[in-house]
Amino acid sequence: MDDQTTGMQNLDALPVRLPNATQGKPYSHASMRLPKTEGCEFTLSGHEDAGLSALLTECEDCYELTIEGTPAEPGDYAIVLQCKPAGWQEGDPLAEKRMLLMVNPNPRLLWRDIPTPENVPFYKPDRDNGAIAADGGKRVIAASQRGRSHAQEGKPRDDHFQLYHNPDSGWYVLAVADGAGSAIYSRRGSEIACHEAVAYCKSRLTDAAEFEGAIAAYQCTDDEQAARKAVGNHIYSIVGNAAYRAHRAITDEAQVVESSKPKDFATTLLLAICKKFEFGWFIASFWVGDGAMCIYDREAHSVSLLGIPDEGEFSGQTRFLTMPEIFADTASLYRRLRFGIRPDFTALMLMTDGVSDPMFGTEANLNNPDKWDQMWDRLQSGYPEDGIGGVDLDSPRAEEQLLDWLGFWRPGEHDDRTIAILY
Amino acid sequence: MSRRLPVYLLIDTSGSMKGEPIESVKVGIEAMFSTLRSDPYALDTVSISIITFDREVKQVLPLTPIDKIQMPDITTPESGPTHTGAALEMLCERVDSEVRKSTPDQKGDWMPILFLMTDGKPSDLMVYKAAVEKVKQRHFSSIVALAAGPKAKTDELLLLTDMVYQIDTMDGTSLMKFFKWVSGIIEEGGKSIGATDDLELPPPPSEINVII
Repeated sequence: MDDQTTGMQNLDALPVRLPNATQGKPYSHASMRLPKTEGCEFTLSGHEDAGLSALLTECEDCYELTIEGTPAEPGDYAIVLQCKPAGWQEGDPLAEKRMLLMVNPNPRLLWRDIPTPENVPFYKPDRDNGAIAADGGKRVIAASQRGRSHAQEGKPRDDHFQLYHNPDSGWYVLAVADGAGSAIYSRRGSEIACHEAVAYCKSRLTDAAEFEGAIAAYQCTDDEQAARKAVGNHIYSIVGNAAYRAHRAITDEAQVVESSKPKDFATTLLLAICKKFEFGWFIASFWVGDGAMCIYDREAHSVSLLGIPDEGEFSGQTRFLTMPEIFADTASLYRRLRFGIRPDFTALMLMTDGVSDPMFGTEANLNNPDKWDQMWDRLQSGYPEDGIGGVDLDSPRAEEQLLDWLGFWRPGEHDDRTIAILY
Repeated sequence: MSRRLPVYLLIDTSGSMKGEPIESVKVGIEAMFSTLRSDPYALDTVSISIITFDREVKQVLPLTPIDKIQMPDITTPESGPTHTGAALEMLCERVDSEVRKSTPDQKGDWMPILFLMTDGKPSDLMVYKAAVEKVKQRHFSSIVALAAGPKAKTDELLLLTDMVYQIDTMDGTSLMKFFKWVSGIIEEGGKSIGATDDLELPPPPSEINVII
């Protein structure tokens, strides 16, 4: 057996596998080493079909074949490497190596946006936004967008939000809720949770002289513990009860809707109330489930989470407003409440995990002010590389821009996204 | 790194699978890969591992993102026992090392999904029974077992999961339907975000009978 034949046999036996490519993504594979045989002429075919180019470089004892380029169309491509031995003539056998190159579709091009049929029970629009004008104080914008995984199947948005402001009393109420993907009526659960919680806060904050007196006393007291307890009791009574009313309203709904249980309406709830006093901003909150709620202060380079996200060992494990244990004892409910006074801040933000997961990912990141700086910058700059515009916070259309911004791309993150920002 | 939906396929490669059965299984798996590669959600999230079992247990495909997968070689010996128990042992060991759990610094993967396909019954019954208990501690969101062919036994599979399906023949058409259905479960799995209970399964095809 001469050298040439050996070389030819080796060619077919080369353990070469081409890594998969992805449509529209630059591809380069250079690890293919070919035996160097005197006078042997290599040709490659099939790669042009995939929109790639081939390059043969000579090394000391071998040839190195590089396949590179950006494939335009997905599919399976047969790439054939042939070798003409020295002195080859028409009709002589050729050494051949056939390889399969798989080009994955670009996932972004596969998404479809199928509108939710308006006749589904508890229909809500696939996109929503809202705002409260600045009114000399701070402004609120909010937006909610159906996740791509829902849009792909024409399924409804499960998230919800609601905003309220009373210019006379000065109180703001913000609520954001994320209906569980696994619960059939969770879109209704999140809606009830927001409506009930906001309505209850509204009723209690219209004339809240006693509560506001307790806040003022807390702010200038010597006996901090007693004053703190007094405010805490009000928060428990107002914000805690708002959450409980929401829980009860969902339980009631489950009795009305045929053959449904409260867990069919499973939802998270992030609820915040706040008001500006002459000594600063008073903020109080309730939080059950995942997502994020925080006071962000750019100048002080600080972020204060208004609670601890409920997360399990695996992604997607969380707690819901609909679970009886949330209200089983006063201590466990109390742990979900927060309040405090701040001279000022950049933004109060409430968001579902559809936003916080791609932005932060981990609890450690949620507590890292650098990550919030990055998010705040991205909010305003957008993602020009992906054609996603930023939010001009001073624009009268900021809430619409916020809705569009929620369409940012992140692999594997296609949940409903909802955010409310007071700034 | 983004969160993955880990999917483990346990495939019986004992001697009785030789020939048409194993070839049909391979075609079914390839078709499943192809389906998942054309689903944008799966393309972003699904990672698959294949463990084969006969006398020997091998992880022929470590947990790999769907866009990077290349079909591994799957071979069958001439004859010999079916070490289903040992396969579950390896499964637990691989899940422990490959599936990420949430920590303060790391977002956990989605709960894994398990599919087991066999045409017989475990030869290592004691090991199998002990391993079933270990599997149950691994928090799979779904475990689906397929008893394929006339000799497949369902009693032992029912110890592992109540989702046991049966097909009478090991021909390409039946297996293709099964893997198509499996693809549906995987696609559905990634979308049931926020699920704390078992996943809702899409209805099985008519050829597959639910064992209660």
